[in-house]
Amino acid sequence: MTTSVLKRPSAAEARPRRRGPGVRGRDGIAGWLFTAPVLIILGLFLVLPILMAAWVSVSSWNGLGSPFQDTVKFVGGDNYAALLAKPGLAQTDFGTSLRNNGWYVLLVVPIQTAVSLFLAILVNQRVLAARSAFRTAFYFPSVTSSVAITVIFLFLFSASGTVNAIVQWLGGSGVGWFADTRGVVQQALGAFGVHAPSGSGFLGLTWFDWISGPSPAMLVFVVMAIFTTSGTFMLIYLAALQQIARDIEEATIMDGANAWQRFRYVTLPMLRPTTFTVMTLGLIGTWQIFDQIYVGSKGGPAKTTLTPAFLSYSQSFINNAWGRGAAIAFILFAIIVVFTLVQRVLLAERGSARKAPRRRPGGRRAHG
Amino acid sequence: MQLTRRASIAAAAALAASLTLAACGGGSPSSTGASSSAAADNHQPLTILIGTSGEAETAAVKSAVAAWSKQSGTPATVNVASDLNQQLSQGFSGGSPADLFYVTNDSVATYAGNGSLEPYVDQLKNKDSFYPSLVKAFTVNGKAYAAPKDFSTLELVINTDMWKAAGLGDADVPTTWDQFEAVAKKLTTPQHVGLAVSPQFERLGVFMAQAGGWLTDDAGKAAANSDANVKGLAYAKKLLADGVMKYSSQLGAGWGGEAFGTQKAAMTIEGNWISGAMGKDYKSVNYKVVKLPAGPKGEGTIQYDGGWGMAAQSKNKGGALDLVSYLTQPDQQMGFAKAFGVMPSVQSLADQWKTAFPAQTAFLEGAASSKSIPSVAGISDVIKDFDSQLDALPTTDPKTILDKVQTNLSGLAGLS
Amino acid sequence: MADDPRPAARRRRPLRGGTIGTYALLTALALVYVFPFVVSLANSFKTDEDAANHPVSLVPQTFTTAAYQQLFQTDLPLWLGNTVVVTVLVTGGRVLFDSMAGYALSRLAFRGRNAVYAGLVAVMAVPGVVLLIPKFLVIKEFGMYDTYAGMIIPMLADAAGVFIMRNFFESVSPSIEEAAKIDGAGVFRRFWSVVLPMSRSAIITLFILSFQASWNELPQMIISTQSPSLFTLTKGTAQLASGALSAGSQFPVKLAAATLMTIPVAVLFFVFQRRIMNTTAGATKE
Repeated sequence: MTTSVLKRPSAAEARPRRRGPGVRGRDGIAGWLFTAPVLIILGLFLVLPILMAAWVSVSSWNGLGSPFQDTVKFVGGDNYAALLAKPGLAQTDFGTSLRNNGWYVLLVVPIQTAVSLFLAILVNQRVLAARSAFRTAFYFPSVTSSVAITVIFLFLFSASGTVNAIVQWLGGSGVGWFADTRGVVQQALGAFGVHAPSGSGFLGLTWFDWISGPSPAMLVFVVMAIFTTSGTFMLIYLAALQQIARDIEEATIMDGANAWQRFRYVTLPMLRPTTFTVMTLGLIGTWQIFDQIYVGSKGGPAKTTLTPAFLSYSQSFINNAWGRGAAIAFILFAIIVVFTLVQRVLLAERGSARKAPRRRPGGRRAHG
Repeated sequence: MQLTRRASIAAAAALAASLTLAACGGGSPSSTGASSSAAADNHQPLTILIGTSGEAETAAVKSAVAAWSKQSGTPATVNVASDLNQQLSQGFSGGSPADLFYVTNDSVATYAGNGSLEPYVDQLKNKDSFYPSLVKAFTVNGKAYAAPKDFSTLELVINTDMWKAAGLGDADVPTTWDQFEAVAKKLTTPQHVGLAVSPQFERLGVFMAQAGGWLTDDAGKAAANSDANVKGLAYAKKLLADGVMKYSSQLGAGWGGEAFGTQKAAMTIEGNWISGAMGKDYKSVNYKVVKLPAGPKGEGTIQYDGGWGMAAQSKNKGGALDLVSYLTQPDQQMGFAKAFGVMPSVQSLADQWKTAFPAQTAFLEGAASSKSIPSVAGISDVIKDFDSQLDALPTTDPKTILDKVQTNLSGLAGLS
Repeated sequence: MADDPRPAARRRRPLRGGTIGTYALLTALALVYVFPFVVSLANSFKTDEDAANHPVSLVPQTFTTAAYQQLFQTDLPLWLGNTVVVTVLVTGGRVLFDSMAGYALSRLAFRGRNAVYAGLVAVMAVPGVVLLIPKFLVIKEFGMYDTYAGMIIPMLADAAGVFIMRNFFESVSPSIEEAAKIDGAGVFRRFWSVVLPMSRSAIITLFILSFQASWNELPQMIISTQSPSLFTLTKGTAQLASGALSAGSQFPVKLAAATLMTIPVAVLFFVFQRRIMNTTAGATKE
């Protein structure tokens, strides 16, 4: 939930600056002393590291000794080229990780947003007793360690695990969740007799590889992500719902709308800023999936759960290709920034286009 | 109250100072002192990092090291790695690697390439006692980087009770692919599959070898997509498709030995470490080891070579050297063999070992037709990628997989 | 979605059937969310074979604490100890440093405050996962690799915590402090004896968030240590789960470890339930 607080408008910023008289000597020193521990720690372990990693990403450092010794050479964009331009194992791995994580994001972000909104609406009903018990149940997975949850899911989805046992009891046949390597789209196409054609592609993967979909193992991680994050996002929606409750009543009285219309034309548009927050947080979070992969699959089977974050880690910490690992981290950073910006633009545009005809004078939108 | 204020300023300042100190002061030990000064202090404590096949191996190595420690007066700790390669790499780049560690012949070139390994074998007193082929497996650019510790070939492990239950006798031990397929079929029942293997090249590759193929050709160039290799993998794929062979992962097991030990499979292809696992975890399972069948081009299997690597950054190379020669001497190796079933790396023990372990002679006999992974920098990555593609063998054309392997192999310096 | 599209007039009086339906739906969903934890708990008391053969059953065929015994005989006490050390120091550090900085950013008008504020915003926008390699480099260069210092110091402050505290101070009136100021109390005395005591609620919030974050932290532990003696619960359990030789079995032991590491956070969660949920919502409340 780190970035969430960003959204809160700063009261200090809005307030007129008291320039001269406010900055008294004592306040000045105290201000810096009070912020010093945080600034030093974040400076040394956040800002400085990024600069060092930037150097490593354009260097030939192989993990031995210091990255700043004479023997380490500047290699320019070689590490980036190996990932983006030069055909080979490095490029294929990187392309594979983007493919995997792309599908993960594509599935998790919309579903978790929808599920958390659904839960929030259910829990928000006034007539409901024991609301907090339900909220607790939905939110509990969010506070639990990702390691513990992954271990539990590994058991649930193991070959002789709970999910397969239930599937078999229902008459189905068990799925090799962590053994089957085919993407679900590929499996579906296979059922219609369409098989992998060879041909051109992008980043070392054929176009068919790109659309072949997430493997069953990746689906397990998708389910896990929805399970662990929907509680948090439900709370965000709940807060927003409680804030706009009056507006909704007002709208109901004015329009005489039914429940669905009320939801579709009043609640949902009013929730747009919240939806933006939830989707942005979702995007940022889903591109970073690491713990679960580290604990659960190490990228297997057949690299179908390899993600850029894990690849960056394994290239550096296991293969000693530190320059390449750092380059992956920076590309991942860029991806997250770009996606966030694109989404901001898209949602803003769609928002204004849809909203225009329905805007009423004095109509309030839910924002802080 | 002035006091409180001063105290807090002091505290804040002290914190800032200590952080800055930590920032400036600590840098040196990791960055310097990596090379030279091997002679230094022979009583610096040693750490040994092993990737173990089980508690039997851990206990045996620990007690051997403890015995040496007592005798030499040098403290030594044995750590067990959950992921040896990861912990080694992190140790090298963190500046504090273990002094001695297990290293395999497929990763030796990678570590030697970035200067992490000490080429110490020439200094060993007993360097001539090893099988020359094993020393060669750890030699990169003319320097031997690791003393051979033990080795194993991959052979066929059979559950004798299931064998009998399927109406098979001693004469039915398969010697050809067709016979192999036939017995695997007979051994497949609703309760268990005929054959289970770990989904990796260093199991399925035996079929490539039996078909006359290998990763490289006779000239040492990459030749992964040769017709022989395609034939070998196609045979493995057929076994999978017929349901007489399954990957251990499909059976919910971590490796072939586990699938075999838990009686989900009647046969598996493993090395001699299986005896350690069977003796400890699966005592009730009766089994025997026979040679793998011959393929169209005769017998063939894969050899695992284990060795002791020494960190170039070790602060007590003298002590480490002494410990290696202690651990590789014949009576210690025979002790390891008894404890967890490995095959000694010294030639003089061959007959003694065969007499002591008549049930496992197949592993030693297989050495005549076995192949080792070429020791070329970066090959472990290619093998790992090959392994991950073999996960998909049931649904992928062998040629497609091998073409990718060929592309990756060709990218390695020394194979193209 | 939940509401059915019936005319508003009929909906005004809540229908019994509808409410029962909502309850049923909610209960079913809640069961889905709780089920994995119950399964985990139940299976941690089974034998390996029982867990493999009856993964759905919530009642062990033979109730055994073997998994827990095995854990306590091995390294679990060590992992637990390390986790406690990390959690206590990190939580303490964060509560102190974050509230100091939050207070300064809200109340103290010092030159460069805007720059500090902007800098913290920028820092917070950096995704944590891309910092794995960079952090390792710094920790190693500072000679803190494979030490408690390397595990703990980088986590002692976090920008999000600073903002939570700052937002809190922005939301309360400075009148009490102003009174103290008039009395002649210096800024440090005001902070210690006036501000901190009255910020109890925000500090508890920060405490909960920091506790949970440090107790559950995995990547930082991976990159800052290698010695088994420095393993935390997260790293140790991760190792149990991915150990090559036991990937497919020994689930009771792994589930027992998962259960054990969940307990402290669960206790904290149930004790401060209401506050946690308000906090999370509040942090993003627009």
